[in-house]
Amino acid sequence: MNYIDEEEFTESKFDINVWIKIFKMMGPFKKHLILGILSAVVLAITDAVYPQINRYAIDNIAVTKDLTLLPYFIGAYVVLMFVIGGMVYSFIIHAGQVQQKLSYTLRKQAFEKLQKLPFSYYDKTPVGWIMARMTSDSRKLSDILSWGMIDLSWGLLMMIFITLFMFLTNWQLALIVMVSIPFLIFVSVYFRKKILYSYRKIRKQNSKITGAFNEGITGAKTTKTLVLEEQNFNDFDRLTSSMRRHSIRAAIFAGLYFPTILFIASITTGFIMYYGGNEAAVGMIEIGVLYVFIAYVGSFFEPVMQLANILARFQQAQASAERLISLIEEEPEIWDTDEVIETYGDAITFKRDNWEKLHGKIEFRNVTFKYSKGETVLENFNLTVNAGEAIALVGHTGAGKSTIVNLVCRFYEPTSGKILIDDKDYKDRSLGWLHANLGYVLQSPHLFSGTIYDNIKYGNQDATREEIIEAAILVEAHDFIVTFEDGYETMVGEGGARLSVGQKQLISFARALIADPKILILDEATSSVDTKTEKSIQHAIDTLLNGRTSFIVAHRLSTIVKADRILVLDKGKIIEAGTHKELITQKGSYYQLYTNQFIDETGQKDA
Amino acid sequence: MKRLKQILKWIYGYKKIYATTVVLLIALQYFRTLTPLFLTHIIDTIFGDEPSALPKFITALFGGDTVQEQLLIVALVYVMYTLFRVTIIFLRRFINAKFTENVAYNMRNTLYTHLQDLSFTYHSHAETGDLIQRCTTDVETFRVFIGEQMIEIFRLFFLVSLTIYQMSRVNVTMTLFSVIITPIIFLAAFIYFSYVKIIFRRVEDAEAKMTTTLQESVTGIRVVKAFASEQYEIDQFDKKSQTYLKEDFRLLKLMAFFWGGTDFIIFIQYAITLSVGIYLTTTGALTIGGFVAFLTFIGMIVWPMRQLGRIVGEFGKTTVALDRIDEIMNNPSEHKDDSTNTLDIQGHIEFKDVHFQFDDDNKPLLRGVSFDAKQGESIAIIGRTGSGKSTLINLLVRLLEVSKGEILVDGVPIHQINKKHLRKNVGIIMQEPFLYSRTVYDNIGIMDQKAPKEKVYKAATIAALHDDIGGFERGYETIVGERGVTLSGGQKQRVAIARMLLDDKPVLIFDDSLSAVDTETDIQIRRALNKYWKDTTVFIITHRITSAMEADKIIVLEEGKISEIGNHEELLKSKGLYSHLWDIQTAIEIDLSDLEKGDN
Repeated sequence: MNYIDEEEFTESKFDINVWIKIFKMMGPFKKHLILGILSAVVLAITDAVYPQINRYAIDNIAVTKDLTLLPYFIGAYVVLMFVIGGMVYSFIIHAGQVQQKLSYTLRKQAFEKLQKLPFSYYDKTPVGWIMARMTSDSRKLSDILSWGMIDLSWGLLMMIFITLFMFLTNWQLALIVMVSIPFLIFVSVYFRKKILYSYRKIRKQNSKITGAFNEGITGAKTTKTLVLEEQNFNDFDRLTSSMRRHSIRAAIFAGLYFPTILFIASITTGFIMYYGGNEAAVGMIEIGVLYVFIAYVGSFFEPVMQLANILARFQQAQASAERLISLIEEEPEIWDTDEVIETYGDAITFKRDNWEKLHGKIEFRNVTFKYSKGETVLENFNLTVNAGEAIALVGHTGAGKSTIVNLVCRFYEPTSGKILIDDKDYKDRSLGWLHANLGYVLQSPHLFSGTIYDNIKYGNQDATREEIIEAAILVEAHDFIVTFEDGYETMVGEGGARLSVGQKQLISFARALIADPKILILDEATSSVDTKTEKSIQHAIDTLLNGRTSFIVAHRLSTIVKADRILVLDKGKIIEAGTHKELITQKGSYYQLYTNQFIDETGQKDA
Repeated sequence: MKRLKQILKWIYGYKKIYATTVVLLIALQYFRTLTPLFLTHIIDTIFGDEPSALPKFITALFGGDTVQEQLLIVALVYVMYTLFRVTIIFLRRFINAKFTENVAYNMRNTLYTHLQDLSFTYHSHAETGDLIQRCTTDVETFRVFIGEQMIEIFRLFFLVSLTIYQMSRVNVTMTLFSVIITPIIFLAAFIYFSYVKIIFRRVEDAEAKMTTTLQESVTGIRVVKAFASEQYEIDQFDKKSQTYLKEDFRLLKLMAFFWGGTDFIIFIQYAITLSVGIYLTTTGALTIGGFVAFLTFIGMIVWPMRQLGRIVGEFGKTTVALDRIDEIMNNPSEHKDDSTNTLDIQGHIEFKDVHFQFDDDNKPLLRGVSFDAKQGESIAIIGRTGSGKSTLINLLVRLLEVSKGEILVDGVPIHQINKKHLRKNVGIIMQEPFLYSRTVYDNIGIMDQKAPKEKVYKAATIAALHDDIGGFERGYETIVGERGVTLSGGQKQRVAIARMLLDDKPVLIFDDSLSAVDTETDIQIRRALNKYWKDTTVFIITHRITSAMEADKIIVLEEGKISEIGNHEELLKSKGLYSHLWDIQTAIEIDLSDLEKGDN
């Protein structure tokens, strides 16, 4: 559950720049917007004209009892049929396309930006926030700019045309109707505010209730063992009671708004009945005029409520627009320089022909790294790793293991100092070049929904079926894959949910292997798997490490023991370095760690 | 019938209010159909000499000698009549909101209570996201159904019926001509909305696929970047977006065709009614006022017909939601038919040949465990993952029920003791304790909310937590959990210990509850606790030998059976798993070659 509701309520001052940017995006499909608005205009005119047809019929057919005009009356209705049917069709199809195309464009641009943004962006931005921008914000914004916009033009124009026709028909009666307008505006603004306010409260309350359900469910065991059921229920009841109170209050305001408008309209109608009636009685106006005014009052008040609603939504949509624009315009902190892009391409476009072969020598030269918050993780860090060397990183959480790995991957860049790959600053080559030569095996392997085959292929889109199967065989994943009914075509489910942890790990090994990287990052899993899978995993790790420069955030004793060099890190510094044998005989920190942390593993294995 | 029962179950107790809103609603529709007749009265009765089309109780209010006076009175009555009408509209909405919100309130509370009372087994299999969906979205679906859609069906039905009634009072021929096309409108809407549900699902699926791709790309950004797959991801997302766009456009075309098409049909009805009407006025069969009334009446039939078809066509969402809610409610509460025995528990625990296996599993987790724990004794249970340690504990507090054998507390079989009472007396400190999203202070004080501040601070100090909390920006007022600070595993464990210190329990279980705390602090806390809980029967589940060695009795579990039992010295002599683990942990010299051999 993501609690992002607070933001949804921000309302800012009207900012024209944001809207200009959004309107620019609508350029390619402005045709639909224009046609949609045109249809709305025609519909608004028909709405205003249609009572006039009836008025004409009353005065010239019904009153005079003259049947010669009847065919024209029928004809007018036939035309009306086609115009309204056609325009409603056109209105929906165009408004809908604006909506669909705009949200598509917004999502596409935001997604492309997301792919360019560096790791630090994802560190500070919760996934829920991103998802909300891409789904609800893009929908809200495109809704308001299509349906909202076109409804707005229909409502406004209808009021304008009706006013126009009223004045053309009888200006004295028209003035009576006009008197009600200030009241309408006042009432609408007042209620809109009240209603909006209580809806916000409701939504806040609603997300609290969702949170409480979440807590009740995920904390069920604790609640049971502490016997807190009653206490929790009392807290929950406070939330739902408050929800009920706010909802009823909102219903009162919403329930008052419509009747108030209706009542104002009835006063206007009363005046028309009296004044219009008097004039009709003395023959100053026809009966048809009386009818047409009463009909106009009825349809005049309908768009008012709609307009108030749309304007309120526009106000809310601005917040969505601002957030989306901020995402689309976010500058990636890590990106290749223009010169590098010129020669090597960037993270998205590759100029493979210009790429030099990567051998795998890596050097940290006086590297200092600080998080944007200011916390220093590495200071003047120096390390040279030869091509093909396997480095095991050992140390407590926060010692700097993952920072080193992230720096090697250029997920982060050094705050000062340099990282050299094959004796050249890695910023002088493109992100694409580095990443195409990189393999990464995560602690908790992230698989994409799709088949097993697709997931292995992810490491190298050019791989053939034979290569993929070969990779699976090498990491000993083939055996379990073929036991599935669909073999390689088995769907792994969202996030690989249908596979066991061990199976996911093996597939992620195959994926890394097929990429045939020069540099390999292995963030070892701590989770225990059954003995057979464990053996396969150890074997697969051997296969993977063979002939590559590798950094291993190690948890398995067996992996550490095999590393060419073990670096023991503490607070961003290398406190011990050497092979397993050397470090054990030193009896320093490594020895301590080893005896404390790995003992369980040893105990279990030997037993 | 089953469906009706399903719905009625939730509105039981509010039936009278609901009936009131429905009655008010019907009255309102009747009043609404009178509106156009005011103009008819002016044209036909005041200007002409026809009898009034308005009902007696309204015409009785009219009067006046001159036309001007008559008009004034009609206008005033019209305004008063509207005032009356809008008052009832408001009243009905208010009562309706009260009813609906009470139903929703009741539903949420019932679900919450029931969820808390569902068995541990149910919760360990349940998917949180799905359950939350049911408790929120499905409740909302039902709320909208009962408060808006059902009401809307009543409203539209009575509006159409009463309009037809009023029409027939004005002119029967016209009435017949006015309902020629209306069944078609209803059918068109009904068929369209039943059909479009299928298309709608396809659009939703396409959208879900797009969202999944997005979500996976964002959560797996590390993999995307590490494999230089940005362009591939962009292509994938675009492909899914395009598919969604295509499906959505199909829906749009259908929508445009439906709304445009039904508007066309509706205007055919307008054309028929009004053409016939205008003709009848020339023959004198219909008054001009009557014609004017029909201009409004016709709209009060055709548009509601379309809406009615729509709602009926969209039916089904609600039944799905109710089914999903019932699925939760149909699981029995674990407290149903529970014993009411709340004896004073001293702390003598006895396991007699206890067996356990899940009903849907053929693998026994415990196979004949027997031991005796006297009051005030400390018992350590040691064993590997999967040896049955946690099952044993879950049985002791009746989160699970024994399959065979029995557990006695002070000589009473536990299934004869009230569950909540048992749990109040047997405290568990879990390995991964759950903290509620409140302040640290509230989390510690949760067992005794009236505890004085000093007591809470003291508990935190004993649990070696006080200093940690001092390091937080807002100290004890720091909010933990999703909305606040995330505590480390060790900190959470210590909060769990501290909160247990505020309550006296005769039996306490440490379920590996210091595993995330380093060895030194572990021992330090344990020493402090030993003094505190002298007379308490303590169970220590662990796989750290140092945590187990001081216990009065050590039980070694292997594959659901007790393989060794005794105190530290005894077990060391028996040369089993315990002494083996002990050797490894205390061996000063580790033989390297031996280790490496062990690994391969």
